[in-house]
Amino acid sequence: MIRYDLIVIGAGPAGLSAAIEAARSGLQVIVFDENAKPGGQLFKQIHKFFGSKEHKAKIRGFQIGSELLEEAAQAGVEVVLNASVIGLYLDKEITVRIEDRLLHYKGDTVIVATGASETMVTFDGWTLPGVIGAGAAQTMMNLHFVQPGKRILMLGSGNVGLVVSFQLLQAGCEVAAIVDAAPRIGGYGVHAAKVARCGVPFFLSHTILQAEGDDGVTGVTIGEVDGNWNTIAGTEKHFDVDAICLAVGLSPMSQLLQMAGCEMEDHPKFGGLVPTCDAYGTTSVPGLFAAGDVSGIEEASSAMIQGRIAGAAAALRLGYFSENEFVLRAEELERALSSLRQGMFAPENKGKKLSATEEGCPVSEHLLRTGFLTEDEIFCYPGVKKIKGIHPVIECSQNIPCNPCQDACARKCIKVGERITSLPVVDEEVSCSGCGMCVAACSGQCIFLVDEEFEEDYATVVIPYEFLPLPRAGEKGIALDRSGKELCDAEVVGVKSLTAFDKTSLLTIKVSKEMSMRARFYKKGVRVG
Amino acid sequence: MKNSSDVIIIGSGVIGNSAAYYLAKRNYSVTVLEKSNHIANGGSVRNGGGVRQSGRDKREMPFILHAVRNMWPTLSEELEMDVEYYQEGNLRLGKTETHERILTDLTNTASSCGLDVKMITGEEARTICPYLSEEVTSASWCPTDGHANPMLTTLAYYRKARQLGARFITDDGVTEIRKVKGRACRVITESGEVYEADTIILGAGYESRELAATVGIDVPMTRWLMEVLVTEAQPPMFYQMLGTAMADFYGHQSTHGSFVFGGTSGFEETNKDNGTPSASSITAPCICRGIIKYFPALENAKIVRTWGGWIDQCADHVPVISYVDEVPGLILACGFSGHGFGISPAVGLTLSEMAVDEKTTIDISKLRYDRFTAKI
Amino acid sequence: MKKNDRSREIGRFQPLPDDERLICRCEEISKGEIRKAVHDGMFTLTEIRRYLRTGMGLCQGQTCAKLVRDIVAKELGISAGELERAAARAPMRPIEMRAFANEGNGGE
Repeated sequence: MIRYDLIVIGAGPAGLSAAIEAARSGLQVIVFDENAKPGGQLFKQIHKFFGSKEHKAKIRGFQIGSELLEEAAQAGVEVVLNASVIGLYLDKEITVRIEDRLLHYKGDTVIVATGASETMVTFDGWTLPGVIGAGAAQTMMNLHFVQPGKRILMLGSGNVGLVVSFQLLQAGCEVAAIVDAAPRIGGYGVHAAKVARCGVPFFLSHTILQAEGDDGVTGVTIGEVDGNWNTIAGTEKHFDVDAICLAVGLSPMSQLLQMAGCEMEDHPKFGGLVPTCDAYGTTSVPGLFAAGDVSGIEEASSAMIQGRIAGAAAALRLGYFSENEFVLRAEELERALSSLRQGMFAPENKGKKLSATEEGCPVSEHLLRTGFLTEDEIFCYPGVKKIKGIHPVIECSQNIPCNPCQDACARKCIKVGERITSLPVVDEEVSCSGCGMCVAACSGQCIFLVDEEFEEDYATVVIPYEFLPLPRAGEKGIALDRSGKELCDAEVVGVKSLTAFDKTSLLTIKVSKEMSMRARFYKKGVRVG
Repeated sequence: MKNSSDVIIIGSGVIGNSAAYYLAKRNYSVTVLEKSNHIANGGSVRNGGGVRQSGRDKREMPFILHAVRNMWPTLSEELEMDVEYYQEGNLRLGKTETHERILTDLTNTASSCGLDVKMITGEEARTICPYLSEEVTSASWCPTDGHANPMLTTLAYYRKARQLGARFITDDGVTEIRKVKGRACRVITESGEVYEADTIILGAGYESRELAATVGIDVPMTRWLMEVLVTEAQPPMFYQMLGTAMADFYGHQSTHGSFVFGGTSGFEETNKDNGTPSASSITAPCICRGIIKYFPALENAKIVRTWGGWIDQCADHVPVISYVDEVPGLILACGFSGHGFGISPAVGLTLSEMAVDEKTTIDISKLRYDRFTAKI
Repeated sequence: MKKNDRSREIGRFQPLPDDERLICRCEEISKGEIRKAVHDGMFTLTEIRRYLRTGMGLCQGQTCAKLVRDIVAKELGISAGELERAAARAPMRPIEMRAFANEGNGGE
């Protein structure tokens, strides 16, 4: 039987990163993945990632996937696709189904990076065709170019629900509502604001009561829940929709580790059943490691670092790394990982209600309930200043691990500082060139350039825009406010799509002066009344 | 709740549960103590579900004859739950002359015990089960054999016994049996709990060996890891119990439509495990190769699960169902050697009679604990 | 380890309006059937699985395991975390008998 130094199960962000790290250290590595394409969920991720440079921030997920594949190839990693690992047995033996065969392999080390699957909730009609996972919707849209429906209701306001809602809008679907039983939006405020300004309403403290339809979903009824999750009579609301997306969480696919006899623990903070691991992904079975969502649900950025750490740990175990080399490498990686786990969405803050940011700025309840900041609130944050001439307005109100805006500004007008979770600060002393790099670089699309002195009665607002078709300069339309409500007439006076913007176009709209701090989105058309 | 009852049963397998039911039915108070977190977590719920008379040792034959004639056909009704019993016959298949000889020997033994079993040709076998491969040249055929669902049977006994008042306690294994004034009537559990009864039935599979040792008794047995697999549901095809001369595999189609097949790779005596009865990487593929040779029509059926289970393999492959002379109060029911499921109703009934010192319906004299002697 | 007395009082089975709702889609098991099984003495997820076939279908419980667990926990009046998950078994993905039978060594 052929023996590898390392067998990696799963070619997603964690698995590929583990393989690259180990192969670069000299291990002979093979990766198996049951899918036809590698990359796990990365190739469905068309949005820009958060984090800092070392986390591949502001790069879109699918591009990160391509980069990882290239790195893996260069490192000499063998990636076998359409290869389902059927079992993980004693002596770190696996069986893999490839075409019509069952092949046996052994690894001196094995890293399980099988990821997660979507959690479901039930309600009357939940088995109707048209009730799908948000991840499934993403696969349909972004890999197969199929709309999951024309008009969709999203259950779940975590990052998955918010990001997929935005992608549904980008795919030309209508999002009827985002519903969550929790009283506050679970995902990043900037993600919520992106969909809110497109006019998508949020229904917090609401749950789905019933999906309607005979052969498929034709409608849905939601209702408000009280503090004990009981429905409040008379609060029912109906929507005509042809699809319902569920984004209510992920469950680790840890069955292989369970089968292998790893000591397991079951805890909601991990999303379900995970192997008991140390900081390097070492399980209770010697030589067997876990990395990524299978060891606790996080996101792709941390999965990649966890993968690197597990790869390094495998290299240490097999003597390809000395203890010293490993310690240095692990420290570097753990620092990167720990910076992603800071801020208001840090694991230890899960479920906690925070009232202020690290800087002492108030947390907007309005944002957490409706998806957008009020005009009065935005001046509370250090990214929003009254400045003459064109200047960035950064509507970033939560401590999230992200700092590409700081690197984007050539004039150093924006500062996040050492802690990447700090709110960006706009420096009033530095004059803005209006280049728009920060607008395009912001993964949360929360930076706008405002120029209140564009013309005597008119201001311009530069907004990030990721929809097709792109408006043309000279086009007249309507400016929308942060809630997506029609605000005033607007004229597109500039459309910039530079390679450096990486497919985020910058739309400059002209609006009457008093609307400069209210107009945050644009749509084609003529205002009625 | 008080910790004393008429009978303590150690082990909630199909044997323990069935004994508990027959005792509870007659209003005896019963406490069943189970080490595992789950009711019936051993071979009782992991086996292939055969209810066959053919191929049995003579000493077991009275049990299976009684069970098949008097108990299995009405068991679902009695337990008020469908245990999926089918009495559609057992085909034991052969492809070579050697196989035919083995089958003929087994058939002769069974016939001499009064069983309606006979040798048939490959053609005749294909008339009974049209899915058989052309390679099948002979078979033994016992029309009164059958199969049932081991999980449902075991849990049905539990459910009914519990409804009748039998007390079941899981997650608390017995660590010791103790004599009090010369009679075994007390057990101590892992949690430190002490239970007392007039009679103790030890039906804990392989683990009976170490428990019997706490009162100085040894039943020579070892532990074999047997494996079983199940397919996704198939359209109804055939309901005979199947086996082969070489015992490569055995199994049947269930009510659900899935096929359940047990089988061996040849390493059952020496397989290692990680402390749980885990499946090996080579057995299920081996079982599949065996099945396809006899049932080519199943080659595209998808396997959804495989699992392992330990059997308590007795030195002579026949159970011990016995009083213990030196330890009055103790009844042994162990060493079933993978033959326990089919005879479980009759064994449970017998144990219920033994526990209350009644003459047993079935002769137990051949299954004594002290039958093992050195070979010279 | 703590002892689990199967005769302890868990109340009587009370029908609920959503008892008809399917929980295990592969094996078509409803919420009511799961709740009844608890009252039949099936106190662990493994017992429920063996009794009703929940999570024994093609998806191997990937979808319903959590749902079943929540229902059983509620019926027993305990927290879901107290219920041990059922075992994971090969094959992780359903595999045709002929492919399973067609063994080889990697690298051949």
